[in-house]
Amino acid sequence: MRRSSSISAPGVFALAALLWAAQGPGTRVTYRVRVVQDGLLELARGSVSGPAGTDLRFALRDDTAEVEALFQIVPEGDTVLVSAEFFTRRRINRSRRGLGLWEQDSYRRSVRLAWGDTARVHLFGRPRRGAAPDAGLWVHVVLVRGFSGGEGRPAEELEVLDATMNIVLEAVVRPRRARVVMNLVRGDTVSGPRGYDLVPEAPARRVQLAMAGRTTTLEIGLTRPEPAKSARDRVLALDADVVCLRIATPEVAQPVGVVCGRLNDVARRLPLPGGDTLVATFAWPAGR
Amino acid sequence: MSDSHEHWLKQIDAELDGEMSLAERALLAKHLAACSHCSGARASQLEVRVALARSAGDPHARVVPRPTIRGRALAFWAVMALAVGVAGGWLAHGRWGGPGGSLEDSRAAIVVH
Repeated sequence: MRRSSSISAPGVFALAALLWAAQGPGTRVTYRVRVVQDGLLELARGSVSGPAGTDLRFALRDDTAEVEALFQIVPEGDTVLVSAEFFTRRRINRSRRGLGLWEQDSYRRSVRLAWGDTARVHLFGRPRRGAAPDAGLWVHVVLVRGFSGGEGRPAEELEVLDATMNIVLEAVVRPRRARVVMNLVRGDTVSGPRGYDLVPEAPARRVQLAMAGRTTTLEIGLTRPEPAKSARDRVLALDADVVCLRIATPEVAQPVGVVCGRLNDVARRLPLPGGDTLVATFAWPAGR
Repeated sequence: MSDSHEHWLKQIDAELDGEMSLAERALLAKHLAACSHCSGARASQLEVRVALARSAGDPHARVVPRPTIRGRALAFWAVMALAVGVAGGWLAHGRWGGPGGSLEDSRAAIVVH
């Protein structure tokens, strides 16, 4: 006996399209953030958005306290697991010599919520018993996902309403590709720039740079940097947009050198064995 | 004065005269530890005997001092020391601060609304 299905073919197609849009590369994640004091005074508001996998780096500093956190999300169906790694410093007093004495702490928090729900982050702990439920300094974070509309770049927006505090919202995106522009330099002679879109950890590729009628062949490959030495830098992903370019010559098995840098169009120089200098700049790939 | 105290006063006399066995002295010591009246009587007896010995020309006789801190005085000073400690701690906390409650209470918390 054949069972009839209540889901039609167009329905299945629409469901598949919706799932693809929600989980696939076309998804864009937005963190809407409000920093509020005692439930009434809004200190800052802003948003950070980016492709799936974008994290939020939050920092709040004043003369007596610093809170830094990296919010990461893991979508699971209609819910999302939000985990945050906190680094806090609080000035507890002054030393006999008048210098500040600070208390430093680090820990991790996680919570599961539905898309569109609001997570309230009490930065210095929940209000004490007897205090108003909105007492203290807290941060509203609302997570929204939607179609990227072809926009792959992260975006940040922040309006600070209280100038006494330093508040930072940053999108943390680990590049899937990077634009690498290279020149060869020898004295006053500079080769024409050659640009390549490279994928981190992909196999090395062979490139040729021509200068003064002479061609130099190099093997280049993009890698992630070594993990940061300090726990704070590692957990807050301060090197998220750093890539390293490994350069080798076909004749020598060992790499000639490694150039690391952020995707910020700053030129990095590496002397080559033949007397030339390789100048490489790293940038985000052009928007599609 | 009860018969019981009469009995122990005789025992104290015998002990100071050196006429008690080790077991009897242990029994008396146990009683003296619990009975302030008898221990005071023993000290008085001892003072009298020392005074007599000194008047008789014994150069080695010494007066055994009575305890100068009594129970009420001890309680008073204990309360005073406690009060000073609490006040000092309060002032020190106000001046230099402190951990400010438990560590977990001071850490960030995420609540879903």
